[in-house]
Amino acid sequence: MSENTTNINKEEEQLSLDDGRRVKVLSPGMMVFKRFIRNKLAIVGICTLFFMFAFSFLGGIISPYRQDQVFYKVDKANKEYAGAAVNTEYRFTSATDKPLSTMTRATFNSKVKNAAASEVTFQADGITYLASKVDDNFYVLTVGEEVGSVTVLGKIADVKPAAGVELSKAVTDAAVQAINKNQTSFEAEDCVFTLTKGAAKSYVLHRMSPVGLASMLNFAAYDAQNNDLVASFEFRKECETAMHKGESEFEVDGTVYTLEIEDETNADVLLNGDYVANVSNVIVNSVNVGVFLPIEYKAAAAEAIADKQTSFEYVNADGVTEKHTIQMRGNTYIISTEQETYLIDMYSPPSAKHWLGTDDHGMDVLTRLMYGGRISLLVGFVVMLLENLIGIVIGGISGYFGGWVDTLLMRFVDLFNSIPYYPMMIIAGAIMDSFEVDPYVRLYMMMAIMGIMGWTGVARVVRGQILSLREQDFMVATEATGIAVSRRIFRHLVPNVMPLLIVQATMGLGSIILAEATLSFLGLGIKYPLASWGSIINSSSNIYVMTNCWYLWIPAGLLIVLTVLGFNFVGDGLRDAFDPKMKR
Amino acid sequence: MSEMNENVLEVRHLCKYFPIKAGLFSRVVGHVHAVEDVSFTLKRGTTMGLVGESGCGKTTVGKTLLNLTPKTSGEVVFNGNIHLDQLSSRELRAFRPKIQIIFQDPYSSLSPRLPVGEIIGEAVREHHLVPDNELDDYVTRIMKACGLHEYQKDRYPHEFSGGQRQRICIARAIALNPDFIVCDEPVSALDVSIQAQIINLLEDLQKEFNLTYLFISHDLSVVQHISDTVGVMYLGNMVEFAGKEEIFANPLHPYTQALFSAIPVPDPTAKMNRIILEGTIPSPANPPSGCKFHTRCRNCKAVCSQKAPRTMDMGNGHTVACHIYDPESGYEQEAD
Repeated sequence: MSENTTNINKEEEQLSLDDGRRVKVLSPGMMVFKRFIRNKLAIVGICTLFFMFAFSFLGGIISPYRQDQVFYKVDKANKEYAGAAVNTEYRFTSATDKPLSTMTRATFNSKVKNAAASEVTFQADGITYLASKVDDNFYVLTVGEEVGSVTVLGKIADVKPAAGVELSKAVTDAAVQAINKNQTSFEAEDCVFTLTKGAAKSYVLHRMSPVGLASMLNFAAYDAQNNDLVASFEFRKECETAMHKGESEFEVDGTVYTLEIEDETNADVLLNGDYVANVSNVIVNSVNVGVFLPIEYKAAAAEAIADKQTSFEYVNADGVTEKHTIQMRGNTYIISTEQETYLIDMYSPPSAKHWLGTDDHGMDVLTRLMYGGRISLLVGFVVMLLENLIGIVIGGISGYFGGWVDTLLMRFVDLFNSIPYYPMMIIAGAIMDSFEVDPYVRLYMMMAIMGIMGWTGVARVVRGQILSLREQDFMVATEATGIAVSRRIFRHLVPNVMPLLIVQATMGLGSIILAEATLSFLGLGIKYPLASWGSIINSSSNIYVMTNCWYLWIPAGLLIVLTVLGFNFVGDGLRDAFDPKMKR
Repeated sequence: MSEMNENVLEVRHLCKYFPIKAGLFSRVVGHVHAVEDVSFTLKRGTTMGLVGESGCGKTTVGKTLLNLTPKTSGEVVFNGNIHLDQLSSRELRAFRPKIQIIFQDPYSSLSPRLPVGEIIGEAVREHHLVPDNELDDYVTRIMKACGLHEYQKDRYPHEFSGGQRQRICIARAIALNPDFIVCDEPVSALDVSIQAQIINLLEDLQKEFNLTYLFISHDLSVVQHISDTVGVMYLGNMVEFAGKEEIFANPLHPYTQALFSAIPVPDPTAKMNRIILEGTIPSPANPPSGCKFHTRCRNCKAVCSQKAPRTMDMGNGHTVACHIYDPESGYEQEAD
């Protein structure tokens, strides 16, 4: 505008001091906004709500964890590691390549075991065996072979070899001597011979040769290449014989082995200072499938058991000393040790990894709070919208049409108001529990039920407001000026009901969030793996958690309190701002 | 069409009863006789004043005329042939602009959430009275005619004083180019200086747009100033109807006489000859028998409580409903 016209305008219209044109024109909406932002409490409220929304909706994106992610920790736990038992069964070693027959073993076990005599003969498979007791743990099985006969004539004994057998002079002499001494067995040429009385004045001469060993001791080679040696008949026989005699050396195939004897059932065999084999009557096995226990460990365990110790130390392959404890359980021993295991990281206190610790499921509390905030706010808004939708429609119809429609709908509202809320929710929760409803479906169901149960208040407010507005002159004026009904409702009625509804809805949001938290706390609302602030508090419903894990329930409670306060502050602010009596 | 007929409005035997409901099932136990047997005619370009005590049915007459509350019986004819109750709702809406109303309370008669320009122009646009591109100029012109400024168009009602709001209400009515406006006590909520402005505005607009007013008021000075004809109502009945000069010079009905005697005279030396009415107005739900005014009338005789008076034409357009002026009523023969 040019200066000239401005001057003319100035001359035409003299502005007085109180001229309306000096006051800036504001629409009612702007006025409300201006009044609202001058309310400090409302600003605090809106900031709180902004924070809550950012926390819930952005936080879930930023958080590196999922809401249902379970965290584990590596921890030492005393777990069973091996089992041990003292061997009470005889193990058989055959002198030949052919193992002893099952019949032989069974007959031995039934006849010889627990027999008092030091020499027992038994027959199996048509062969006569002689079991010679070295000690309780060790028998040598021998089989006699007829090598000749001895005929005694007065003082003279004549030895006649059997067909095809040659007997040396030493043998025959020894036989004669034995007969003279009235012995039934003798030794010659490293063999045992027996004399069995046959027909009158005659004896049958048997040469006894060992065919097997029956022992309760268990041989284990330290080095796998010695397995054959350790399993061999000669080695075992010499070793056990030496053990029995308490000798510190024995010889097999010209090699002299050193014997370190712990006691009669436990020994180590060394060759040139190297451990070759361990002998023990204790059998040690791993309790874990597929775990191989080294012989050193077995030896250490057997030794400790033999010594009746309750614990022993073992240096493992990595050079780390492990402490193992032994527990006797019946005839067996349980060996347990501290082992590294994955445990669910429950109730861990706040740390750099979990800022607010973890809960009873080992989930990150902060992340759960973020996702829980989504649910809580979502429930609040959806239920509020649902309540308002139903409430506005029913209240609006009731108020606008009045008459019998109003009466009918208001009695309907009374009916709804007389349904007890919490028993209803408890029943609904129990029904959904028994049908094992999916957590998400459950969430929707809960929102629907809360909305359906909560609209009556809104309907009453809307009805009352519309009833009073309908009688206002400006509504009569719209009729008098012939404005269409839809425009009357949406341009004149609704904008005048809106402020009240906005205030109501804002205030209502807080109470809906509280109701949801209460239901979830009671276990009727949101279910695992979904989280809501109420269900997070629910997880700390025992006294131990309550007193020791503040980080589980205080943050969730604080968020609920702040959100509800925020909504109430904003609601108060809006109410004041909408109130036309509030001056600028 | 409207130019052809001189009578904008003819009202014949208009009745409006409001049912009184009581009890559990809202049984109708009686009726409030708000308007009973009211008849009058209104010529184009004139103003009829309607006066009476509070609660005598003046406002109900106004609203019933416009079919804002449906009438119980009787006839209301606009422009000689239009009966509102016989129109379809679409036709009724289309005819609405021709008949407007200005309310008593300028505070509740404007929607608080619409700007003034929208309030005035809304119905104009709804009825396509002017092309859409001229609407803004049209609203400006109407506002200027009603003493409002163009810059106030975007303002909201709460920013205006009572007098300005009443101007907005008038502008809203005028903008629809009506034939007939019911002014329902348009100045009673305003202070005296503003009253004068509004009355003058109404008169100016009447000249400019050839408007017809039904001016409802309990303020006799205002009615005396603005009206061409005056109707006096008592308890739903029109007791007297005449031209302004005639009725103020020669009030016939005892009630009218009592009413007019209360007009203050701006002369401290003049002797006031006031007629004091005793008692209060009876309940319209249970009106007295015979002449409704007989309970308070100083000229009451036995006949007054026995039968309702006929409306007598006293000549010169002056009608009155009183047994005194009815030779056949037997009032004259009765002893005092």
